[in-house]
Amino acid sequence: MTTAGTEDVEMKELPAPAAASSNFAAASSPPSVLQNLNEIASLIESGAYAREVRRIARAIRLTMALRRKLKTSVVSAFLNFVLTPGSEPHARLSSYLPKENDHEMEIDTATSVVQAPMKHSLPELEIYSHLLVLIFLIDQKRYREAKACSSASIARLKNVNRRTVDVLASSLYFYYSLSYEQTGDLAEIRGNLLALHQIATLRHDELGQETLLNLLLRNYLHYNLYDQAEKLRSKAPRFEAHSNQQFCRYLFYVGKIRTIQLEYTDAKESLHQAARKAPVAALGFRIQCTKWAVIVRLLLGEIPERTVFMQKGMEKALRPYFELTNAVRIGDLELFKSVAEKFSATFSMDRTQNLIVRLRHNVIRTGLRNISISYSRISLADIAKKLRLDSENPVADAESIVSKAIRDGAIDAAIDHKNGWMVSKETGDIYSTNEPQMAFNSRIAFCLNMHNEAVRALRFPPNSHKEKESAEKRRERQQQEQELAKHIAEEDDDEF
Amino acid sequence: MDPKLTEVSQYFERFKAACVREDIDTSANLLSQLKVLLTSFRSLPPLFEVTPNAVQELTIARDIYEHAVLLSVKMGDQDAFERDFFQLKPYYTDARKRLPRSPQEHMILGLNLLRLLVQNRIAEFHTELELLPAESLEDPCIKHAVELEQSFMEGAYNRVLTAKQTVPNQSYDYFMDLLAKTVRDEIAGCSEKAYDFLSTNDARQMLLFSSDNELLKYINEEHPEWEIKDGSVIFQKAKETAPCKEIPSLQLINQTLSYARELERIV
Repeated sequence: MTTAGTEDVEMKELPAPAAASSNFAAASSPPSVLQNLNEIASLIESGAYAREVRRIARAIRLTMALRRKLKTSVVSAFLNFVLTPGSEPHARLSSYLPKENDHEMEIDTATSVVQAPMKHSLPELEIYSHLLVLIFLIDQKRYREAKACSSASIARLKNVNRRTVDVLASSLYFYYSLSYEQTGDLAEIRGNLLALHQIATLRHDELGQETLLNLLLRNYLHYNLYDQAEKLRSKAPRFEAHSNQQFCRYLFYVGKIRTIQLEYTDAKESLHQAARKAPVAALGFRIQCTKWAVIVRLLLGEIPERTVFMQKGMEKALRPYFELTNAVRIGDLELFKSVAEKFSATFSMDRTQNLIVRLRHNVIRTGLRNISISYSRISLADIAKKLRLDSENPVADAESIVSKAIRDGAIDAAIDHKNGWMVSKETGDIYSTNEPQMAFNSRIAFCLNMHNEAVRALRFPPNSHKEKESAEKRRERQQQEQELAKHIAEEDDDEF
Repeated sequence: MDPKLTEVSQYFERFKAACVREDIDTSANLLSQLKVLLTSFRSLPPLFEVTPNAVQELTIARDIYEHAVLLSVKMGDQDAFERDFFQLKPYYTDARKRLPRSPQEHMILGLNLLRLLVQNRIAEFHTELELLPAESLEDPCIKHAVELEQSFMEGAYNRVLTAKQTVPNQSYDYFMDLLAKTVRDEIAGCSEKAYDFLSTNDARQMLLFSSDNELLKYINEEHPEWEIKDGSVIFQKAKETAPCKEIPSLQLINQTLSYARELERIV
């Protein structure tokens, strides 16, 4: 790797003129960051030549570590190094960088004279430099420039068809979508994303397919187009997840779609899985997953435990949902309404407003269940008062609600229309019915099932040396069997 | 004005007049002709080209489809409603930036929600609801449909039936009638589980029949297992108490045998 050798030599010359400058800030960090960047560039180059995608992935990981330390001077110096200055890509990318400090520019020109640029500009390096500039712009919150830069990158990407670029490409897609989202123009790129997805599928670029599918789902869900999102998801080709983060995101989006479509059991599973698989550092993502998971559990009729809300770092964010759970648990409609109003801003920001509205039904059911357990007989007017149903004709409402609850099996009671009261049925002595038997049966079946599966999963040591022995043993066994058979035959003869 | 546009406008005027006259056949004919004429405009979805007359063409097309939707309600044709509504939807969503708001938009959206509710497509109901921005939910037409769905889910059927009087628009009546029928079936189902018996008067009131004869006819057709004795309707409750005393012997035998079999397998 002779190029690496020349780099090191040139790097040592860098600190000298930089330290000589008056701008202290530029002197302290750029050498090390720039050095790292150049190492990454060489890594990419070697990966491209060896066609090893893993090195490129490693290069991206190293870049992410350097993200915080990037400065304009560093980035432009890197660009000077990687791309031939004066070439078209270089000019384009440099135009996106902010021209802040003339002082810094002087240093850059000084240093650029020292280093010789790379002789061959690989497409990988070009795409990588696009990516670096894009990350830098987004971190600096210059979203308009980021938008322009990303569109240019995507246009450039369409011409490059190499597997080694795929990893870089997926990161680019992600930042492309991010820059548009931050400027509020997500709908514009939908067509582009769909075309890119098509191209990725044609090229069998699975990581790109995964990333683009997630970006498209995010795009649709951003505009609440749940119907279209589901249609896309059901038709898109599915395969083994390449990236854990993408898989988590996919599960989250699927969970959201299922919730809106009233398929709460599937939604609960997806959301819980997403929250579990997510890396611990992704706190915001896990908070979102937990919020939706809590609501889905409430809609299913279960009350989430307190520990769910007490997870580290999530307490404040989950506070509104905690109070909501409380209101549902108690079954108090007034409390529910007041909580919903108090935190309506949070709920509308989380887009869970409509789901909260659906919870009203659960609150009433829980309240009704509590009443039915506590009273053996209670008048319908009192039920209406306790449930605090606010309508013109609460008694008739209460009557219909109770009869529906009875039909759905939520409570065990009967209504006496003439006298206008509800009579709870005696729960009776459970032990004298078949209930314990049923419960035991299910548990026994489960344990036996587990035992069978464990036996099936047992692995025995490889049979290779057994076979040699078994020939002899087989002969022995056969001999024994023959003797036994003869013996039995003799016995039979004796008996008869 | 563009000659095609003038022609379309003229047809449209005749169409509107036929609708007002309640002349269904003529309206249907004119509608099909109008739809054919509309295909010649290039500014409409899915092309959405920018032509000089784009705004007028879009507005006229949207009005035509709105009237088509209302016509299908009058005809009682739910499939036609669904087709026309789907054709109308892009005008509300994608063309939102190019056109001023249609005054009938909320009413038609409310009608669609109601239709989904009547057809028991609750998942689609909620998906459509998500698409609406927050301020549309304040609109009376849409609020009506949302509250109706809530009452339906909770089981407060009397609220559903009283909502029939508070329809914001006359075209809702068709769906409200259908809804009333569904509600009646639901109430009957709930009542037979919840009550031991009901006096005939009460049953008649709850099921919203105007006379005893209708009630008897309904019971004979839908629920022959209900008995009518001495002016009260008895739902079958007595049968349930009998089988409690039996031991489900067959089930127990099966279970015990399976335990024995499994235990035997454990070496």
